[in-house]
Amino acid sequence: MKIIIAGAGEVGFHLAKLLSFESQDITLIDTSRESLAYADTHLDIRVVRGDATSISVLKDAQVANTDLVIGVTSSETTNITVCVLAKQLGAKRTIARISNTEFIENKEEVGFTKFGIDELISPESLAASEIELLLNQSGFNDTYEFDEGALTMIGLTLSRTAAFVGKSVKEVGTQYPELKYVPIAIQRYGTQYTLIPRGDTLFKEGDQVYFITTKEGVEHIYRLTGKVREEIKNVMILGGSNIGHKTASDLCKSKFNVKLIENNKDKAFEIADDIPSCLVINGDGRNVELLDEESITDMDAFISVTGNSETNIMSCLVAKSKGVKKTIALVENMDYFQLSHSIGIDTLINKKLLAANNIFRHVRKGEIVAMTILNNMNAELVEFVVTSNSKVCDQVIRTIDFPRSAIIGGVIRNDEGIIALGDFKIQNGDRIVVCCLPQAIKKVEKLFV
Amino acid sequence: MSSFSKLNFKIIFHLMGLLLLVNGGFMLLASILSFAYKDGVGSKMVLAGIVTLAIGGLLMLLTRKHKKEIQKREGYIIVTFGWICMSLVGTLPYIFTGAIPGFTNAFFETMSGYTTTGASILNDIESMPEGVLFWRSVTHWIGGMGIIVLAIAILPLLGIGGMQLFAAEAPGPGGDKLHPRITDTAKRLWLIYVGYTVAETILLQLAGMSFFDAINHSLSTLSTGGFSTKNDSVAYWNDAPIIQYIIMLFMFLAGTNFVLSYFAFKTKFSRIWKDDEFRIYAGSILLMTIIVGLVIYFDADIVASAVYPQVWGGLESAFRHGVFQILAVVTTTGFVTADFTSWTPFLTMFFFGLMFLGGSSGSTSGGIKIVRHIIMIKNGILEFRRALHPNAILPVRYNNKAVHQPIVYNILGFFILYMLSFIMGVLVFSWLGLDFRTSLGGAASTLGNVGPALGDLGPVENYAKLPGAAKWWASFLMLIGRLELFTVLILLTPFFWRNR
Repeated sequence: MKIIIAGAGEVGFHLAKLLSFESQDITLIDTSRESLAYADTHLDIRVVRGDATSISVLKDAQVANTDLVIGVTSSETTNITVCVLAKQLGAKRTIARISNTEFIENKEEVGFTKFGIDELISPESLAASEIELLLNQSGFNDTYEFDEGALTMIGLTLSRTAAFVGKSVKEVGTQYPELKYVPIAIQRYGTQYTLIPRGDTLFKEGDQVYFITTKEGVEHIYRLTGKVREEIKNVMILGGSNIGHKTASDLCKSKFNVKLIENNKDKAFEIADDIPSCLVINGDGRNVELLDEESITDMDAFISVTGNSETNIMSCLVAKSKGVKKTIALVENMDYFQLSHSIGIDTLINKKLLAANNIFRHVRKGEIVAMTILNNMNAELVEFVVTSNSKVCDQVIRTIDFPRSAIIGGVIRNDEGIIALGDFKIQNGDRIVVCCLPQAIKKVEKLFV
Repeated sequence: MSSFSKLNFKIIFHLMGLLLLVNGGFMLLASILSFAYKDGVGSKMVLAGIVTLAIGGLLMLLTRKHKKEIQKREGYIIVTFGWICMSLVGTLPYIFTGAIPGFTNAFFETMSGYTTTGASILNDIESMPEGVLFWRSVTHWIGGMGIIVLAIAILPLLGIGGMQLFAAEAPGPGGDKLHPRITDTAKRLWLIYVGYTVAETILLQLAGMSFFDAINHSLSTLSTGGFSTKNDSVAYWNDAPIIQYIIMLFMFLAGTNFVLSYFAFKTKFSRIWKDDEFRIYAGSILLMTIIVGLVIYFDADIVASAVYPQVWGGLESAFRHGVFQILAVVTTTGFVTADFTSWTPFLTMFFFGLMFLGGSSGSTSGGIKIVRHIIMIKNGILEFRRALHPNAILPVRYNNKAVHQPIVYNILGFFILYMLSFIMGVLVFSWLGLDFRTSLGGAASTLGNVGPALGDLGPVENYAKLPGAAKWWASFLMLIGRLELFTVLILLTPFFWRNR
């Protein structure tokens, strides 16, 4: 697959990195010599220096026989222009990153596909919806829904009170046979690599564990892991940037009590004008006295989304020390991601990572409907649709030659989530959620596609 | 160089000339009526018209080489002196015909006309020549016309009044030159104004009024003036409820923002109903009607008599007089069907309070206006929340939009200035020898351009017995009240005349 990525910023670089692991044919275009040089030396890709909106540059990148063009520069208009030009010059599919969410809301009306943009991606609104999802599943630190919740992926840290601790996967399975869940990935405390759990894998205290579960299973897991689903009502948001604004407006619509702190007076006024039900405070969120005055101790969740990662992390730590149950910090620097557990913040989010993950699923072949990347882990969660040509069609799971570094999480049949065990027979039309490490992706794809 | 000499006086005088031409034209129109009714003053009316036209024509001719540039300062001067200028020449028909003797009285009556106050010094209105009475009503109508264009087009440019809230499409304050689109907006709204006037005249005639009474009452209803052709004002028709209901309807319309009427004709009813000011205006009138109607019915001593012929029964009569007086005072029209000071002490106080309410912005009514009350009350409530959250941004919301704080300050400033003007008004009136109730009522009524007041200036009294100085003071209060205080009072500040 031949892919052109315009913009070697963090999203572009991250995308290029993910894709190059799969030995896709990638061309990265940017005007900055430095970011290109960095990408060139670190990744196995081709780089072209120049303005991505220049036709000669696009031709130089051989846009005519490209499968996918992705516009992810920091400028929305550049991205749109690149996509429109590329489509006219012969690219098969285009994806543009935008910041104005109005474009997504009115996608059909304006007819973006008509003038050449197949997908619109807004990191800001992705981040906002991620935050809302995290607040609704307050006990967990990572969630992802497949087919509107038929199957849910949840990630959590095992505490000492969890019934699982010290037992192997098989033991837990026999002890609680009614359980509707499958553990799909484990990251041991203090390590950076990901395990795909087998029957004899032990759950240990401090493990970051990911489960795939059905709707009913969520409650079971809450009970067995000793997590409490906190009723979240009062939310404080720090920073009135695009993400803060969008999150506040989404949360207010879902009847949360939202307080938003923004330093810039004009911006604060604008938000107060736009969201009447949100209490907008004009002040510096790093000022702990101000946070106290606005009764941070009564907050159920604290979301810090200012433009500065360090401010976000520090203020989340302040919030945690004041007894706020759920803290979410926006972090630009992906290296900080590894630290999220050890520093004690519930969830770190990165809008560029979100955008890259979202774009990434378009890169997969057509039969893949959804995919996500586990936060701060290198495992991927992919949803395949089984067709009659698939190798696995009409096979019992036990008999399939499945790679060790991949696991079937669940199956969605007729909009209903099923936890598939060894004797489950895969049928035509099933949607299958698979968790796999990068090295297994090719092999898994071959089985399904 | 002082700013005084820098002012573009030529265009100021040019526009004054234009105003005089318009007024002269209307005087000639009044003289036609004079001849038609053979009241014997026709030739004198013509003379007044010709003199006015001559002065106006001369002014325009002398200043025809003016620069077409109006800055804010000229704007304030034009508006204030426009009203003064009109009031000066507007006295000519009264003086030439001898209908009102004395310049003080004539000036008071004209100022009361142009400011759409409706306070009169005439003891026997019915003995007046028809031409003069018509001219009297026309001064109202011209004043109302001026106010529409002033409120909707000019004041926002000068940064005065609550209209910048309403007209999002109007050019906000900041542009130094008056916008050419003013003429466009004004034409449409005048068309509605004329249309309403014609409609009311026809309806009143159908309901049994004579043509002369109908046209005069229409002219003074739509301008929310209040001059009547009868000594008893609208109480003359207490035996004809239909006539009073028609007048009520048009008082209500005249107290509504004319831009909303425009939307109504474009059938954009949702915009009318979504308008906060209209909802509060209509809602509070309804609420007050119920209170006042019930109080009149149960507490006040209204027995069926020649004064209160209860044509459709006592309850209807109580409510009719209640609504009529509420509308007359809230829209600052000042017609009278009953003496509200004779009902109960509570209602006297109630109506005194209503004199501070005023109609909607963008209407012809005077007073503080509903929109300012809305913003002030909302702001007041928000102060409680602001006390709890000192750093919170808690803007006042009006029509679902956050109002910028400077506008709120402007409105608070207006209110304070209004109250100070009222207190000054009361003090000067009492210094000139008026009693307590008369001073209070007179100041509230003239400042709010209502007309009827309390005590010696009550609904069934008139302003004739005021001492001369008090008449001049009342004229001044009417003028500043009509022109939203700032416009006139800014001319009295030293820095207006100092460096540019």
